[in-house]
Amino acid sequence: MLSKSAARAFFIGGTLLTGVAFAALTVHTHQTVPEQSNEANLTPAVERGHGIWTDENCMGCHTLLGEGAYYAPELTKVVERRGKLWIKTFIKDPEAMFPGRRRMVKYDFTDAQIDDLIAFLEWVGNIDANGFPADPPYAPAPQAVIVGGRSLDNAPEVFKSLCTACHMVGGKGGNVGPPLDDISARYDAASLDAWLVDPQAIKPGTAMPKLPLTPEHRKAISTFLLETR
Amino acid sequence: MKYKTQQIAWLFFATSMLLFALQLVYGFIMAFAHMGYDTLHPWIPFNAARAVHTNLLVMWLLSGFMGAAYYIIPEEVEREIVAPKLAVVQWAAFVIVGVIAIIGFHFGWWEGRKFLEIPRPLDWLVVVDVLTFVGIIGVTIWKGNRPTTTAIALYLGLVLAAVLYLPGMIHFKSQVLDSFYRWWVVHLWVEGVWELVMGGILSFLLIKLTGVDREILEKWLYVIVGFTFLSGILGTGHHYYYIGAPRIWLIVGGVFSALEPLAFLGMAMYGIAMARKGGRQHPNKNALLWTLGCCIMSFTGAGFLGFAHTLPQVNMYTHGTLVTAMHGHMAFWGAYGMLVFALIAYAMPELTGRARHKGKMAEWAFWMTTIGMVAMTGAFAVAGVAQVYMERMTGLDFLDVQDALQVHFFGLVLAATLFTTGFALYVVDFVKYGLPRSGGAPRTTTNGSADDVVVAVGARAAEG
Repeated sequence: MLSKSAARAFFIGGTLLTGVAFAALTVHTHQTVPEQSNEANLTPAVERGHGIWTDENCMGCHTLLGEGAYYAPELTKVVERRGKLWIKTFIKDPEAMFPGRRRMVKYDFTDAQIDDLIAFLEWVGNIDANGFPADPPYAPAPQAVIVGGRSLDNAPEVFKSLCTACHMVGGKGGNVGPPLDDISARYDAASLDAWLVDPQAIKPGTAMPKLPLTPEHRKAISTFLLETR
Repeated sequence: MKYKTQQIAWLFFATSMLLFALQLVYGFIMAFAHMGYDTLHPWIPFNAARAVHTNLLVMWLLSGFMGAAYYIIPEEVEREIVAPKLAVVQWAAFVIVGVIAIIGFHFGWWEGRKFLEIPRPLDWLVVVDVLTFVGIIGVTIWKGNRPTTTAIALYLGLVLAAVLYLPGMIHFKSQVLDSFYRWWVVHLWVEGVWELVMGGILSFLLIKLTGVDREILEKWLYVIVGFTFLSGILGTGHHYYYIGAPRIWLIVGGVFSALEPLAFLGMAMYGIAMARKGGRQHPNKNALLWTLGCCIMSFTGAGFLGFAHTLPQVNMYTHGTLVTAMHGHMAFWGAYGMLVFALIAYAMPELTGRARHKGKMAEWAFWMTTIGMVAMTGAFAVAGVAQVYMERMTGLDFLDVQDALQVHFFGLVLAATLFTTGFALYVVDFVKYGLPRSGGAPRTTTNGSADDVVVAVGARAAEG
C-alpha cells in the first residue's frame, strides 16, 4: 500500500514537472505573442486606449477576447462589425442609439480619447485569437440577390455605418427599425430630411434616435434611399 | 478551544459573514439589472456592482482562510499565536483596506481587470498586510512543537497565494500579456494553491470530526494536492485558448483541464470515505454536514461543471457567456464558501463554549443554501446555454438575446432568495453563539440534548 513518503514524492515530483513545463510554455508564449498580436502596430494611441479601457473598467460589463462580464456585447471584432463612425456616435450618447433598452454609462470622452479607444479596439480585433470569435455556424445564409431591390453595395459610408445598425436594405442590416427598401413610396427629399434632423419632432416617442448628421450626410442618405430604380 | 489566541479567528469569521452579506446585496442588484430593472444605474452602474460583487467574494474568502489559519495553526503546532496584538492590527488593516477598495469602486477608483480591480496603491497595502499575516503564522509554526503536514499544507497554500498576487501587479502594454499574467493570479489561486488551503482545512476538520488516524488522512492529502497541482498548473491553459496566446495551449489546456475534475473527485471521495471510516461520533453534526457538503458541491461545481465547458471546441462558443457564471457560482460556493462555513460551524462551539450542536436552524441553513445554490446554477445554466445557441450559434443580436433571457434571471432571483434566507439563518446562528470566551471548551456530548441544556445552563450561570 502507498506510504506517506511515496505520496509526498508524488506531490513534489508532479508539481516540479508540471511547473517546469509551465515555465517553458510561458517562455514560448512570450516568443509568440508579439507576432500573433501584431505588437508592431501597438502604437501610443493603442496604449492610451488600453488605459481608458482599464480606467473605466469596460470589462465590468463587456467582454473582450471573451473576458469580462456578460452584461454587454463582446467587443473583439466591434470595429469590423460596426465601423468607426458608428462607435464614435454611439459612445457620445449610448442611450440615444438604443432608446429604452439596456443602458450604458455616458462618458464625457473627448474626440481624441474616443479615437484612442477605437485604435485599441481595432488593434485587439486584429489579434490572431485562434479563431475566436467563431462565425455562427447556424446563421441564416445572407440572401445574395433581392429581385428588383436595392443593395448596400452603393450605399454611402455614413449609411453603412449608422443606419444599418437598425435598418435593413436589400436584406442586410438590423431589425430594430423597419426595412428601408421602399422608403421612396412614403417620403420625398424634404420630408425625409426633416425626419432625419429630429425624428422626435415629427413623431414623438419614436425609437429613432436624433443622430448627429451633417447636412452632407443627410443629403447622401436621402439621395441613396430615394433614387428611383 | 485549547489556546487563548485562537479567539483572533472569530474577528475574521465575523468579517467574512458581513462581507458575504454585502456580496449578496450586490448580486441582487446585478440580477435585477439583467431582468431589466436597472433603476440604480446612475449611482451603481453594472460594472461597479460587478467589481464590488467579485472583490467581496475574494475578500470574504481570504478573511475566512486567515481566520482558519489563526484557529487551526495553534492547535496543530501546539502553541499560542505569536504577537496576538499584531494579529489584531493585521485584521483591522485588512478590513480598512477592504472598505476603502469597496467605496473606491463606486467612484471609479479601480483597474478594469477582472477580479483584480483593486487599484495599484491599495495593492501594496494588501501585500504588506498579507506579509504580516504570513509572518505571524510562519513564526508560530517555526516556534511550535509539531509542524504537521496539515499545518504545512495550509500555510504553504497561503504563502503561495501571497506570492502569486505579485504577477497581477506587473504592467504590460499588451492586452494579451496583461491577461496572461492576470490568470496566474486568478487561476493559480482557485485551481491551484487555494486547493492546498482547502486540503489543509478539510484534513483538520476530518481529523477532528471523524477520528481517523492522522497518518492516513495526511497521506491522502498529499495524493490529492499532488493531483491538484499536476492538473491545475498546466490547466491554466484553458484561459489561454482565445486571448491571442499560441495554439499549443489548446492542447495543453484541454488535456490537463480534463484531469482537473479528478482532484476534486479525490477530495469528495476522501471526505466521504473518511467520514464513513471514522469511529468517533463527534457531537458537532452540523460541522460534518458542511464538510461533506463542501466535498460534494466542490466536485459538482468546480470539477464537473468546469469540465462542461473547458474543452477548446466547446469553449469556442461558451467563452464569455453566462455559462461561465453558471460554473463560477457553484464552484466558488461549493469549494471555498462551504469550506469556510464548515470551519466556522466547527469552531464556534469551541470558541464560545456553547455546545449548540443540534439546532434545527443550522440544519435549515445548510439545506436552504445548498438547494438555493443548485437552483441558481440551474437558472444560470438555462440562460447560458440559451445564450450560446441564440447568439453564438445562430448569430442573433446580443440585446435581443438578452431580452429573451430576462425570465431566467427572475428564476435566478427566486433561487437566490432561498439561498439568502438560508444564509440569514446561518448568521442568526452565528450571532446566537455570542462572543468567544477563554476557558470555554464545550462539554462534548454524545447522547442527546439533555447535556446541551446542562451546558447552556452552566454557561449562563458562569456568565451571571
